[in-house]
Amino acid sequence: MAKTGRLGRARHMCLAAAAAAFLGLSSATALAQTAGGDLVVVQSSNPPSLDAMVTSSQASRNITMNIYEPLFGFSEKIQPIPILAESVEISADGKSYRIPLRQGVKFHNGKEMTAEDVKASLDRYVKHGATQSMLKPVEKIEITGPNEVTLTLKEATPTFLEAFASPRAPAVIIPAEEASKGPNEIEFIGTGPYKFVEYVPDSHVKLARFEDYSANEAFEGIDGFGGKKTAYLDTVTFRVIPEPGAAVAALETGEVQLLEQLPVPTARRLASNENIEIYENMPWAFLTFIFNMKEAPGDNPKFREAVQVALNNEEVMAIATEGLFQLYHGWMYEGSTYDAGDVGKEYYNLADADRAKALLKEAGYNNEPFSILTDSTIPEHGKAAVVIGEQLKAVGINAVINQVDWPTALNIRLQDQGWNGWTLMMGIEPYLGPAALISTLTGEAPHFRANDEQLDALYKELIATDSVEGRKAVFAEIQKRLYAFFGVIKVGETGLMQAARADVKGFKPFRFPRVYDVWIEKE
Amino acid sequence: MAVEANADNAAILRQEIARARRRGWMLFGRRLARHRSFQVGFALFFVIVLLAVFADLIAPYDPNKNDYRSLLAPPSMAHWFGTDGFGRDIMSRVIHGTRVSLGIGISVVVMTGILGVFLGMLAGYVRWLDNVLMRIMDGLMAFPGVLLAIALAAALGPSTMNAVIALTITFTPRTARVVRSSVLVIRELPYVEAAMAVGAGHARIIFRYILANALSPLIVQLTFVFAVSILAEAILSFLGVGPPPPAPSLGNIIAEGRNYLQDASWIAFFPGIAIAAAVLGLNLMGDGLRDVTDPRLAAERGAG
Repeated sequence: MAKTGRLGRARHMCLAAAAAAFLGLSSATALAQTAGGDLVVVQSSNPPSLDAMVTSSQASRNITMNIYEPLFGFSEKIQPIPILAESVEISADGKSYRIPLRQGVKFHNGKEMTAEDVKASLDRYVKHGATQSMLKPVEKIEITGPNEVTLTLKEATPTFLEAFASPRAPAVIIPAEEASKGPNEIEFIGTGPYKFVEYVPDSHVKLARFEDYSANEAFEGIDGFGGKKTAYLDTVTFRVIPEPGAAVAALETGEVQLLEQLPVPTARRLASNENIEIYENMPWAFLTFIFNMKEAPGDNPKFREAVQVALNNEEVMAIATEGLFQLYHGWMYEGSTYDAGDVGKEYYNLADADRAKALLKEAGYNNEPFSILTDSTIPEHGKAAVVIGEQLKAVGINAVINQVDWPTALNIRLQDQGWNGWTLMMGIEPYLGPAALISTLTGEAPHFRANDEQLDALYKELIATDSVEGRKAVFAEIQKRLYAFFGVIKVGETGLMQAARADVKGFKPFRFPRVYDVWIEKE
Repeated sequence: MAVEANADNAAILRQEIARARRRGWMLFGRRLARHRSFQVGFALFFVIVLLAVFADLIAPYDPNKNDYRSLLAPPSMAHWFGTDGFGRDIMSRVIHGTRVSLGIGISVVVMTGILGVFLGMLAGYVRWLDNVLMRIMDGLMAFPGVLLAIALAAALGPSTMNAVIALTITFTPRTARVVRSSVLVIRELPYVEAAMAVGAGHARIIFRYILANALSPLIVQLTFVFAVSILAEAILSFLGVGPPPPAPSLGNIIAEGRNYLQDASWIAFFPGIAIAAAVLGLNLMGDGLRDVTDPRLAAERGAG
């Protein structure tokens, strides 16, 4: 009953809007959002899980971030903002975070969210979360009111909130009774604008509008992962189509409405198609080349420097991304908060064969094979490896390509032997900021296998510094260090081409396809 | 006197036999040369072999030379077959690709031939081994051919050598079976019995009398193995378990072109034509060989 009532009201509102537009009473709002319809979104792979906490897969995040919500998330400008939290109050010593919750928020099962649910969810995250380390600084999680939780940290951690807001494997809030279950055993119940209906592996995931969704009225509209969200569509179907050609054909015929990703040349071809709107999601990821610093010849810094100066980054990027790229030497996006300016620029995109050869000589390189690990699953990886391989051969490095599938590559790169270089796109890490990015290069299992002590020390300093200005200075040191030992090469930045039918309105490219505040315009 | 005459006679007889054999071969050659589908097949295949052998001279560009200024360029005077997503010249890649594909094909034929003859001969000649060997072969043949090759290549890892091994294991049972069945027939023929009676050794009997006469069905079989292994190599490469990049093989050029079928169809089209030509050529040659070597078909033709 309640459902029909709501829907009825939505219809009335639409009618009213239409009438207003017809009478010329409203001009700007004449672009009325229309409720209803089924939006079919295509992605290339199955979500490994719909239990948002336990997976950091993008294929999962694309869907789960429309179903669940965390306490905090990133805004469009990558600042932590409250989503299910009302606000946050940090004690003077930086150790206590009092978090009042938004009231009247309902789960998809109709129950109202309470502090118990929040505590149970966070406790579950500590146990099963895919990026548990983000709750590592937390000593205890306490319920300090019917609608309030307080997190007490072991020590002041200035970057805690930033890490806690990370969407990588988001610490979403689920009902307490679900939170007691193991990974992938829960019912998919969240607080988001869409609720889970069904998952047919290799086919689709279906979501439906959650009629009792309580929008966050503190915002004007959507903002990053949060804001005031409105669900217009009746249902959303995330369909899995692995073959890009098939996905594009389905979009062209109108069988599907939104492609999460499409090949760049195809996007160029479709640009002139008036039924299709192309969205350029830029920048999306770093393309990097990582050395195995535990095995010759990559264990020699001179050798690594030779590779760095030998690379023609423009050629690698142009081919690997099919033209959708920008060149920047910085380890944070240009113009972003932590951008370290010109540090390291003198080593970037040099394509200097003579200098590379001289460095190889200095390194005592003796034509040992240099095995580049890559995969065919993510086309950018495989293509970059081929181009880098050819460029290295040109300066006299005996480069060989070892192309496997993505899971195998992930396995091999965890070994100390059997690979020398590895092509990797880092999507979410640079987006999340310096701490998230550098944490992959330090600690117990750095990407380049061997630890660089100076970098490890700088990372510790980074997360202990409590002002943005201070962290900026530390990050500049980090970038300087990265361009001193050459354990990893930043090749360039790439984007993501997305496309939708022209009648899909309100879509704004983001880290996941937000299907709220999107509607299908009716003729 | 009598001894000399005998020796003379033997010499004459040997010459006669040699002449008859030469004549047989010439007749065989002439029949083959007259066979229409063999002519077409041979011409097609010959062109492809020329391309493969002289790839370095014929190909206008280095097949692995990237050029990011001309990505996915359509066919033009500079690039007759267009370029791929790396800006590499498709024509050069196809020409070099035929070399890789034919190389794999020939290696498979040679290895299959050796193994197939050895196993087939063993099974046909050494009776007690027959059951054991042929049941193993049957076991291998129970898998659909290409599926077995894919499984093996995936297990061994992507490399040219592994593709050859996978295809050899796949096609050897079929060849062994053909050889065995010929051996079973031939070993009962009077001339083999005669050879045994005059005390010829096993090696002489096997190579001189049995293998020599089992050759024609084997050759026909091997031409088909050649054709099928070129196709199978393309399938393996297409699935990413063939020669690793950037080496061009006809299959992996097509695999790279798959994602551009609508935007740059030339990438997959030209290597596709090359595969079709090579396989068609080999199959036509195989048909010709079969027709000419099969006495029944030859007789029908003669009568008609």
